[in-house]
Amino acid sequence: MWIPIQLNENSAEPLYHQIESQLRSLIISGQIKEGTLLPSIREFAGGLNCSVITVRRVYQDLESEGLLRTKQGTGTFVAKVGDSQREVFRREAVEEALNSAVDVGISVKCEEDELKELFLTILHSKYHPDKREGEA
Amino acid sequence: MEEIAIEMKGIEKRMRQKTIGPIDLQLPKGYVIGLIGENGSGKSTLIHMMLKIVFPDQGSISWFGENYKQEIPQHVRRQIGFVSEKSSREEDNLTAEEAAEFRAQWYPEWDQTYFEELLGKFKVPRNIKLKNMSKGERRKYEISAALAPRPKLLLLDEPSSGLDPFAWKLMIDELRSYMESGEATMLLSTHIVDEVKRLADYVLLLHHGKMHGMVEKDSLMDNWKEIWVSGGTDLAGDLPGIIQVQQDVQGVVRMITTECLNTEQILQDSGIPVLKTRTLELDEILSLWLKGHLPAGTQTGKGD
Repeated sequence: MWIPIQLNENSAEPLYHQIESQLRSLIISGQIKEGTLLPSIREFAGGLNCSVITVRRVYQDLESEGLLRTKQGTGTFVAKVGDSQREVFRREAVEEALNSAVDVGISVKCEEDELKELFLTILHSKYHPDKREGEA
Repeated sequence: MEEIAIEMKGIEKRMRQKTIGPIDLQLPKGYVIGLIGENGSGKSTLIHMMLKIVFPDQGSISWFGENYKQEIPQHVRRQIGFVSEKSSREEDNLTAEEAAEFRAQWYPEWDQTYFEELLGKFKVPRNIKLKNMSKGERRKYEISAALAPRPKLLLLDEPSSGLDPFAWKLMIDELRSYMESGEATMLLSTHIVDEVKRLADYVLLLHHGKMHGMVEKDSLMDNWKEIWVSGGTDLAGDLPGIIQVQQDVQGVVRMITTECLNTEQILQDSGIPVLKTRTLELDEILSLWLKGHLPAGTQTGKGD
């Protein structure tokens, strides 16, 4: 199983942290299904040019979070993700994206009302794309 | 506790041109340790001492937790695979098959099927004497023959020298899959930085016979970074691990730190924004390290 993880070498974020948060979101978002056999530690490390020490740490962390389970002699599998876990993750992902969008607004000195209006316009156009075309 | 494949304590060896050591090191089981150093830094001598081809003047070595006053006992030596920097003359007049037959008598665990598979993948020519092979072909034979007995410890002295890029890639893949089980330990001496990048878990640096430390590769990559920050060069005084500072443009200072995680934390806590971060290439890190900038918390091997 090939796991789509993209490392950003020019970030101050440590490698294990990047791998862990990406793998966590792939599992919780359901992009990697329950029961999937993950690559061996050496294979995964090889694909990312990182050390087995880092990958082992990621597997251990996610195992203690209940997202992975290891069967002796067979390997590491994706565990069942609970609905509440998925719900929290969904919420957090959206909150995080909105947060950074607002930060951009603040950094270019948008007024609160201006941002609100922009947000509603974008929201409307995304949820009702046809209607907008009709108006134009 | 982690198991140790080889441990050296207070190892010293006086050579004609130089002195190696004192060296203290531990090679943890299951890992690939990339051995880096300039020509003549003592990499081959270090490996030869691990095989008792060269005897140290001082200090002790243990193999899988045991010391041996005399020779390494056969049952232990048979668990060590070795690719020497220069191929041995003894096998010169044999073909790959004949040499394998000879080696198989000595290694009870010799896996002929695996050996044949490797020769096939590497396209090692059959029915010609080893001495008549090209350097790369001979190298591919040596690597196959070192892996065939499935050793617990692999000592590889510049295994890739003479390999074409395709064979090189194949060697990386084969070595990696060999390490898959986690039972084997590999010391890989090399000048190819990419080899370390792709295979190694730890990097061990030797310089003029002295150990400059053994560090987790990812800890190097996480910590040795170039950062750009608003401010002047005076900032560097309050930050850890800064080894280079330069005013870039007006108001922007460029620094190289060996403790990026701490440096960024301090900057963040002081409200100083980091404008840009760049991870150094492994070869840049190695050359700074060779110049004497040691990674934070290094096991320098100088003893206590």
